Amino acid sequence: MRKHLIHGLTSGIVFGIITVFLLLIGFLSTIADLLLVAINIKSLESAGLSAQTLNLLLFLGLLGVFTGIRALRGAEPLSWVQAILSSTLAGLVHGLIAGSAGFILGTLTDNGVKLTTYLSAMLPQTVNLYILNRAPLDGATSLLLLFTLTGLVGGLIAKGLGSRKVGERAGAFWQTTVTSVTELPAIKRVQSSPITRYVIYGILLLIVFLLPQRLGQYWNYTVGTVGIYVLLGLGLNIVVGLAGLLDLGYVAFFAIGAYTVALMTAPEPHALGINFWVALLSGLVLAALAGILLGVPVLRMRGDYLAIVTLGFGEIIRVLSRSDLLTPFTGGPRGVRDIAGPTIFGKPFNSDIDFVYLITLAVILIIFITNRLQNSRVGRAWVAMREDETVAQAMGIDTMKAKLLAFSIGAAFAGVGGVLFASRNQFTGPEDHNLMVSINVLALVIVGGMGSIPGVIAGAFVLKGLPEVLRQLENFRILAFGALLVVMMIWRPEGLIPSARRQLEMHGEEPPPEEVIQQVTKPASAEVES
Amino acid sequence: METAKPRTTALKVPLSTYRIVQIILAVIFAGYLIWRIYQVFFVEAVYGPDTWMRFTIAGLILGGVYSLIAIGYTLVYGILFMINFAHGEVMMIGAFGGYFTFEALRAIPASTATNPDTNFLNAHPTISVILAFLIGMSLSSTSGFFLEKIAYRPLRGAPRLVPLISAIGASIFLQNAAQLLFGAQRRDYANPDALARGIGFEIPVGEGIVVLTYTGVLTFVLSIVIMIVLYFLVQRTRLGRSMRAVAENKPVAALMGIDVDQVISRTFIISGALAGAGGVMWGIHLGLVFFFVGFIPGIKAFTAAVLGGIGNIPGAMLGGMFLGIVESIGPAILGLNFQLKDVIAFAILVLVLIFRPTGIMGEVLTEEKI
Repeated sequence: MRKHLIHGLTSGIVFGIITVFLLLIGFLSTIADLLLVAINIKSLESAGLSAQTLNLLLFLGLLGVFTGIRALRGAEPLSWVQAILSSTLAGLVHGLIAGSAGFILGTLTDNGVKLTTYLSAMLPQTVNLYILNRAPLDGATSLLLLFTLTGLVGGLIAKGLGSRKVGERAGAFWQTTVTSVTELPAIKRVQSSPITRYVIYGILLLIVFLLPQRLGQYWNYTVGTVGIYVLLGLGLNIVVGLAGLLDLGYVAFFAIGAYTVALMTAPEPHALGINFWVALLSGLVLAALAGILLGVPVLRMRGDYLAIVTLGFGEIIRVLSRSDLLTPFTGGPRGVRDIAGPTIFGKPFNSDIDFVYLITLAVILIIFITNRLQNSRVGRAWVAMREDETVAQAMGIDTMKAKLLAFSIGAAFAGVGGVLFASRNQFTGPEDHNLMVSINVLALVIVGGMGSIPGVIAGAFVLKGLPEVLRQLENFRILAFGALLVVMMIWRPEGLIPSARRQLEMHGEEPPPEEVIQQVTKPASAEVES
Repeated sequence: METAKPRTTALKVPLSTYRIVQIILAVIFAGYLIWRIYQVFFVEAVYGPDTWMRFTIAGLILGGVYSLIAIGYTLVYGILFMINFAHGEVMMIGAFGGYFTFEALRAIPASTATNPDTNFLNAHPTISVILAFLIGMSLSSTSGFFLEKIAYRPLRGAPRLVPLISAIGASIFLQNAAQLLFGAQRRDYANPDALARGIGFEIPVGEGIVVLTYTGVLTFVLSIVIMIVLYFLVQRTRLGRSMRAVAENKPVAALMGIDVDQVISRTFIISGALAGAGGVMWGIHLGLVFFFVGFIPGIKAFTAAVLGGIGNIPGAMLGGMFLGIVESIGPAILGLNFQLKDVIAFAILVLVLIFRPTGIMGEVLTEEKI
C-alpha cells in the first residue's frame, strides 16, 4: 500500500475511535444541546431536521473535515489525486467506524437492551440522536456518507492551504500574537515611563473596585473562586514554575489554611471565637510551617519521588481530617460550619462582594511579592537550581535552603487561599480538599505557563472561569484537564503565555528562536549595566 | 537489571544535623513500635492467633497484587526514569476488562449435567477465569502500549518534569474517561459461583477457624507464578537481555543493535499485562470495580517499588508483599483505626524515603541517570 493511503487509514481510524469515544461519554449529545444555544438556525428546521440534530451534524461535520486535514498532515507533498484518495479513504474509515458503532448501539436500543447498565451515558434518546433519529441502518449509512464527504472536503481544504503548515502556522500565529502584544510600542512606552504606568495601574484598580458592584451575586462568587485559584496558582507557580519542584499535594496546605480558620473561629467544635484576621495570619504561618516540616525530609529526594510523596501527603491530610481519630478535633466527615468572616472596625465584611475585594487585594499583594521574589537573588537562585541543580550548588547556592524557602512560601500562599475559601463558604470539610484541587491548580499553572505570572492568571481564568460560563460541559472538565496536560506537554510545554527563560529551557536540544534568546539575555545585560 | 551491582549513592559524610535528627527519629519510632508490639501481644492481647493469621493471609494476598503492579513501575522506571503515573489506571482498565468478560459470559446460556439451565460463567468457571485474565491483561497491555506511544514517546529527551506531568495528565484522563463511560457507581464483580468470595478452605487455628478463600489462593498463587515467569523472561530471554541493556545504557544498547524504542514499547506492554492481571485479581478477590479503583493501589504499588529499591524486580516483589502485610497488621499493632491503613502505607513511603531512599534491596540505577 502507498504511504499516503496508510496515512489516510490511520487518520480515519484515530478519528473514528475519537468519535465513538465522544459518543460513549455523552459528549456528542451535550455539544448538540450546547451549540443549540450558540447557533440557532431556525430556518433550516423546516427541512425536517431538528435544531439539535443540526448541531450534531455540524459538530460531526467539523470532525470529518478535520479527519481529512489530518490525513494529509505530515505526508510528502501529494498530487491532487493522491490527496483526494487519501482523504476520502480517511473519511470512509471514519464513517465506517462511527457508523457501525451507531448501527450496533441503535439495534441494541431498538431491541430494548438497557445500555445504561454498562455505558452510563447511553440513554435511548442519546443513541437515537446519534443515528439522526432514523432506523439504525439508515442512520449509520447517513453517518458513513457524512464522514466520507466531509473527509473529502477536509482533504481539499488541506491540499488547497498546504496541509503541512497548518499546525505550524497556528503555533507561529499564537507566538507572534503574544510577542506582538507584549512588544507593542504602547506597552513598551508604558513600561518605560513610570507615570503612565501608575495611571494605568490606577485605572485597573478603579475597574477592579467598581466591577464587583455591577456584577450579580453568582458572578461575584465565580470571580472570587477564580481569584482564589489565582492565589493558589501563584503559590504553586513558585514551587513548580520557579523552583522546579513538582508538588502534587498542594491541597494539603490549602486544607491547613481552611481548617485553621475553621477551628479558630467556628462555634463548633471548639468555640474559640478568635478574630478572623488573627486566624488569617495563623493560617498563613501554620501552612508555611507545615511546608517546612514536610520539606525538610522530602526535598532531599529526586524530583519524581517528591511528586509522589507530596501526593501521598495530600491524601494523608484528607484521610486524617475525615477519620474518627480526629473527629472530635476537626469535625470529621461532616466538616465545620459557621466559619466567621472578617470584620472591619466591628462591621461585618463578609458578603460575596466584600470577599471579591479581599481576594483581589490578596492577589495584588501576592503578585507584588512574587514579582519582587522572582527578580531577587532568591528568585535567580531558584531558576538556577531548576535548570541545573549541581551547577547551582557549585555556584554557591544552598539548594536545600532555596528549596525550603520556595516550598514554604508556596505553602503560605495556599494557606491564605484556604483561609479565604473556607471563610467565604462559611464551611469546610474533607471533600473540599481532595486531590482534584491540586490537579486543578497544577493544570492552570502548566497551561498558563510555568514561571509566568500573567500566564497563571490567564490559566486560572481559562480553567476555572470558562467552565463556569460553559456549565453544560462541567462533566467533561476534568477529562479535558487531563488531555490538556498531555497535549500541552507535547505541543507547548512552556505554556500559553510563557516566561522567556522557561521557553528556552523546555525545548531542550532544539535551537531556540532568535527573539527568545534576545529576550532572555536582555534583562541580564541591563542588570549588569545598572 | 539485577546483574548490575547495587551502587551506594550516599557518600560518606560526617554527621550532619539532619543525620542526627534522622537517628533520633529512628530510635523514637523503633522504641514506640517495640512498645506497641509488647502491648498488643502481651498486655492487651486483644486478638487471638486466629485473627493474626487472618491479617497475615489478607496481607499476603494483597501483597501479591501490589507486587505485580509494583513490578510494572519498576520496569518502566528502570528504563525511562519516570514514574508511570497512569499505571494505576492501566490496572483499572484490566479490572474492567475482567468485569465485562464475566458479565458477557454470564449472559451466554449454557447447560451442564447437574444444572441444565445455567450460564457459561457457572458452567465453565475455569475457562471463564482464564478468559477474564486474558482479556483483562490484553486490554491493559494495549492501553499501556498506546499510553507510551501517545503520551510519553514524543517527550523523550525533554526535561524530567515534562513526561511526569504528561503522565499525570494521562492518569486523570483515563480515570475520568472510565467514569464517563461506565458511570461513577461501584460495580460488583460477579465471580463464578465456584469462586464466590468468602468461601474457601477452613483451617482451625487456636479457638477459631480461619477461612482461606479460594479467590485468595487463586490470587496469591497466580501472582507468584506470573512473577516467576517474568523473572525468567527478564533473565533468560533475548527480550529480557535487551531490556536490561537498555536500562543500563541506552546509547550503547542502540549501538549494539537493539531497537530502543521497540524495547521500551514492549516494556510498557509487559508492565501493562502485569497491571491487568493485578486488576482482575483485585476484582475477583475484593469484588469491587469502579473508575477510581486503580488510584490507591497504584500509589501503594509505587510505595512498594520504592520500598524494594526502584529498578529492582525482586525488590518490587518483596516490597509488595511487605507492604501488604504491614498494611493489614499495621493498624492492629499500632492500635489505630482501620480507616487509617492508607495513612500507614503513605507513612511507610515517607519513612523509607527519609531513612533509606535506595530501598531495602537497593536501587539498580546508575549514577548518571538520577
